[in-house]
Amino acid sequence: MSVTDSRPGDAAAPEPLLRIEALGKRFGGLVALDNVTIRLQPGEFRAVIGPNGAGKSTLFNTLTGLHRPDLGRVFLSGTDVTGRTPHALARLGVGRTFQITSVFAALTSLENVQIALLAHSGRSWNVLASARSIQVTRARGLLDLVGLRDREDQLAGTLAHGDQKRLELAIALATEPKLLLLDEPTAGMAARERLESIALVHRIAREVGLTVIFTEHDMAVVFAVASAITVLHQGRVLAEGLPEEVRANPVVHDVYLGETTSDDAAGQERA
Amino acid sequence: MSRTTLGLWSVAALLFLVAPLGLGAFWQFIAIEALVFALYAMSFNLLLGYGGMLSFGHAAYFGLGAYGVGILMAKLSAPFWLALLAAPVVAAVGAAAVGYFSVRLTGIYFAMLTFAFQMLFFTVALKATVLTGGDDGIVGLTRPGVLVDPAVYYLFVLFITALAIGLLYRMVNSPFGQTLRAIRENARRVQHLGVHTRAHCWLTFVIAGAFAGLAGGLFALSTGSVFPGWLDWTASATPIVMVVLGGLRVFTGPIAGAFVFIGLETVISGHTEYWPLFMGVIIIALVLLLPGGILGTRSGRVGH
Repeated sequence: MSVTDSRPGDAAAPEPLLRIEALGKRFGGLVALDNVTIRLQPGEFRAVIGPNGAGKSTLFNTLTGLHRPDLGRVFLSGTDVTGRTPHALARLGVGRTFQITSVFAALTSLENVQIALLAHSGRSWNVLASARSIQVTRARGLLDLVGLRDREDQLAGTLAHGDQKRLELAIALATEPKLLLLDEPTAGMAARERLESIALVHRIAREVGLTVIFTEHDMAVVFAVASAITVLHQGRVLAEGLPEEVRANPVVHDVYLGETTSDDAAGQERA
Repeated sequence: MSRTTLGLWSVAALLFLVAPLGLGAFWQFIAIEALVFALYAMSFNLLLGYGGMLSFGHAAYFGLGAYGVGILMAKLSAPFWLALLAAPVVAAVGAAAVGYFSVRLTGIYFAMLTFAFQMLFFTVALKATVLTGGDDGIVGLTRPGVLVDPAVYYLFVLFITALAIGLLYRMVNSPFGQTLRAIRENARRVQHLGVHTRAHCWLTFVIAGAFAGLAGGLFALSTGSVFPGWLDWTASATPIVMVVLGGLRVFTGPIAGAFVFIGLETVISGHTEYWPLFMGVIIIALVLLLPGGILGTRSGRVGH
């Protein structure tokens, strides 16, 4: 579908938005990340794929500050951000969504987005203003963007699964991230809904000039939107390149894409 | 605020202002106790209902406020006003120290740590006899001027608690309060929005401690005494019961819980020495019949 703006790892490219250098992380005896180096240029829509246990979640959790890497560095627009806390990284422009949908269930859709706006504008410490009236227009605009404008008064916990995913996207967008990490954005959706959902994210990312890195099990989704693909296997980068290159890579085929059909079927059973 | 709510509040305000004045000194004392415990329960609900933090040691801050007043007045001859002002400050300082360590933990571990710190304060109150009077506590605290009259002191306490509850209302509906609710729902999500959630919880803990301290100070000045039992672990259960009884997801729930609890306790303990048994049975029945609390079922998600 779409092609990259610049090839990953291109020597002539400017300073990448995200530069991961030789990242290593182990949990006890398990090596979760082993010498992972990834460069992400502004505007990319990068997929990170790999079998379960390949290190995708560890990579995401390390990039967003939940884990501190044992080895290696992470640079955001040239600034070393290795080992920063989740809230510090969020303030530097790293947004994320979660594999398990993470909305504020007992609050309305509008309040969900408002909280993100408050956090982003540094107003979460204000104890005297009234929260209800803060940035309502902007919050509604974001709900509009993801198609939830008519659900603003509904408690987030009562929304349909797909709508919760979209609300989570609106929450993430409210903090105006430079880099957005989507951990399995279509998990738990029916096959058709998955493509619609990722197309929405893709369109919005284009509109607001967002750089995205996402993990995904459904290869149809990956090949529909990814500008480039990084394949992780046993904590290492097995391959990286344009979608067609990765698709044609025999090694990738052996360890991963070969099992796509069965994985896809499993995914559809779940959904 | 709708016209009905405004009407209800006006009636309630009038009732609070006038009703106890017609009663004798005993019921005025009970009314003061109910007000003080309403504030105490509300400060606790800031932690539990809004922040999702179940503290097992909230009595520590009620006690710190009370002992702050007692020690300042009885041992250091401080004037009434200074002592009363010091109550929330002393409690806030204690809560800041305890909270600094406690908010690093969540769930049962948070509960246990707050509980342990409370036992520490209790032991100090019991053993530092020179300052605290040990087991005998501190007695003979007096109020100045017209405040000696229980009816006047009732109005004074009503004014202070109304002011404090107004502040709390402002706070829970502020961006700070809204963020606190979000932390209760999903702390990790809030973290990734750029909020230092631990600092947020810490400040909440300090504020809750300060209001509990104010309640403790007001109560010490009502009874004229302070006892170590106020700091005991059973005293930490009281606000938990009041909040659950009244409704922890409704802003005014703890007020209802405190009034019902104090009312029942007073009436039943006047009739039988087995009053805790009857209290227990009634509370169990209320919790089973009204799982959202006395105000919870009616008001739905007012305080969500």
